[in-house]
Amino acid sequence: MALWATAGATGNGKRDGSLGYLVPALLLVVIFFIIPVLMLLLRSVLEPEPGLQNYATLLGSTTYLRIFLNTFIVAAVVTILSVSIGYPVAWLLAIMPEKWSRLVLAIIILSMWTNLLARTYAWMVLLQRTGVINKTLMGLGLIDAPLPLVNNLVGVTIGMTYIMLPFVILPLMGVIRAIDPGILRAAALCGAGRLQCFLRVLLPLSLPGVAAGALMVFVMSLGYFVTPALLGGTSNMMLAELVAQFVQSLVNWGMGGAAALVLLVVTLALYAVQLRYFNPNAAR
Amino acid sequence: MSEPFLNIRGIRKTFGSFTAVRDVTMDIAQGEFMTFLGPSGSGKSTTLYILAGFQDPSGGDIFLDGRSLLATPSHRRNIGMVFQRYTLFPHLTVGENVAFPLRIRRRPQAEIAERVRAALKLVRLEGFEDRKPANMSGGQQQRVALARALVYNPPVLLMDEPLSALDKKLREEIQFEIRRIHQETGVTILYVTHDQEEALRLSDRIAVFSQGEIDQIGTGPELYAAPATRFVAEFIGDSNFIETSIVSTDGRQARLVLPGGAMIDGVPLHGAASPGGRAALLLRPERIDLQRGEGEGALAGEVYDVTFLGNNVHVLVGMNDVAPVSVRIPFGHAALAGLTPGERVSLRFNAADTHAFLEPPAA
Repeated sequence: MALWATAGATGNGKRDGSLGYLVPALLLVVIFFIIPVLMLLLRSVLEPEPGLQNYATLLGSTTYLRIFLNTFIVAAVVTILSVSIGYPVAWLLAIMPEKWSRLVLAIIILSMWTNLLARTYAWMVLLQRTGVINKTLMGLGLIDAPLPLVNNLVGVTIGMTYIMLPFVILPLMGVIRAIDPGILRAAALCGAGRLQCFLRVLLPLSLPGVAAGALMVFVMSLGYFVTPALLGGTSNMMLAELVAQFVQSLVNWGMGGAAALVLLVVTLALYAVQLRYFNPNAAR
Repeated sequence: MSEPFLNIRGIRKTFGSFTAVRDVTMDIAQGEFMTFLGPSGSGKSTTLYILAGFQDPSGGDIFLDGRSLLATPSHRRNIGMVFQRYTLFPHLTVGENVAFPLRIRRRPQAEIAERVRAALKLVRLEGFEDRKPANMSGGQQQRVALARALVYNPPVLLMDEPLSALDKKLREEIQFEIRRIHQETGVTILYVTHDQEEALRLSDRIAVFSQGEIDQIGTGPELYAAPATRFVAEFIGDSNFIETSIVSTDGRQARLVLPGGAMIDGVPLHGAASPGGRAALLLRPERIDLQRGEGEGALAGEVYDVTFLGNNVHVLVGMNDVAPVSVRIPFGHAALAGLTPGERVSLRFNAADTHAFLEPPAA
């Protein structure tokens, strides 16, 4: 019943009989999403025997808590870096002449379409002890010994920030482009210099885009597997790696399910916060 | 009028090989309501944008109270502006929008509250402080924009076609409000519009723009009674133009031959002309005396069409070799009762009511 009510409340006014058309889509969601999640939930409380001992182990061990902490720190740092790098890029893209912004956008999107593994291996080559970055820094005399840039959380953060950037830039660019330049002119004549214009007008108006991009990046980062697995070290695991280890190496579906569900609950909580505070439709 | 207050001196603006504004010069007195009137692309908005500091002129200078404005960026010019589109800050309430210029100027909280209240009272929107712009009508939004532009008491208020997005009835209502606000505040207003009625209703003086230049500056009656160019004559009021040739001229007045062969003497002539040249004769539709039958009028023709327009009647008179002339006569004019298409009529007019504009030689 809750589902029907939600559909009715957020639908765009066309309610009469249109719910019938939603049945195939709802079936798809139930079969491929809700049922597997419920099965996972069940296995996490039933295996190896009924009870909450999987969750107790997970949340009671410093090793596992360390992994949760790693995951949140990396996701948070990646989010902050993506937004700080992505915001100016999105702004430039929004105000650039059309032909230049198209070119830059094409490069960004092309990189998104390039195989994820290829891009991650490329970072591995760049970041390794004898890679271009360390060689350049040493050649310039800035460092004496190679920096440990890979097989640790630094590498993971760099690689993931790179992969997440388009997910911040694209929505933000749309939001910034939608801001009427006339509003910024009005702000200027009201006495606002560049900084005031940015802080009092442009930033608040683009905040829904920042929130959307940041949430997307944070949530994706929390569950990201490939980049941490390739660029990370064995000592500093992230949550997705832990789930993979439980399921693939240890065949412990109970623990794997519990770890996955903790991740899901956190994600949903964050989504609820975003809906509550940054939903542009609710704000106006 | 007091001392020259705002002086625009030879402003030019070129974009590549295109000249948008050429040599615009005018003096505006403190408290004056000056309108830039012209069709789109005539340079009136560009001139306003140069005043606002959104564009730099290619030449010329602007002085406010004797000091050049050009080196001052927009946000330090202390000028108010209302735009064509709605430019309220959508994330702020009405009260916060109006307070914005004062917050930027770091005024004390109590003063901000007091002045926001006064500004909203001025535009008759008291009690709307907590509304968001999105929940207001277009007319209300423009009134908030006006309050925001006036709340810091700028010496000059620029208005760039602020009513063009509104429907006719609302437009007239807000025109009235703008006049009242101008009288109450005494602020100097530069107003851009392409609507001659709006210009006539609001302005102390009107600058008519055409192709990047000012054709004439004057009060509404001046522009109507003594247009300097054919363009001004066409833009202010309704007009007929009849092609004539010049018989003789003393430089200010001319003796012309009308298409039917009749002569007319003492027509005010604009432009240096010589006998034999061609001139377009301006006849205002409401300054033509229409007589039934072939009288001794200067022009004779046949009624094509009679249209009742409420307080007056519009008669279209066709003539040989001349574009039809429109004549406006008061409704109830006894001698013309029952005028029907096909009737022969003659037209008379005073030379002093007409103007002749030099035509370029036929190509």
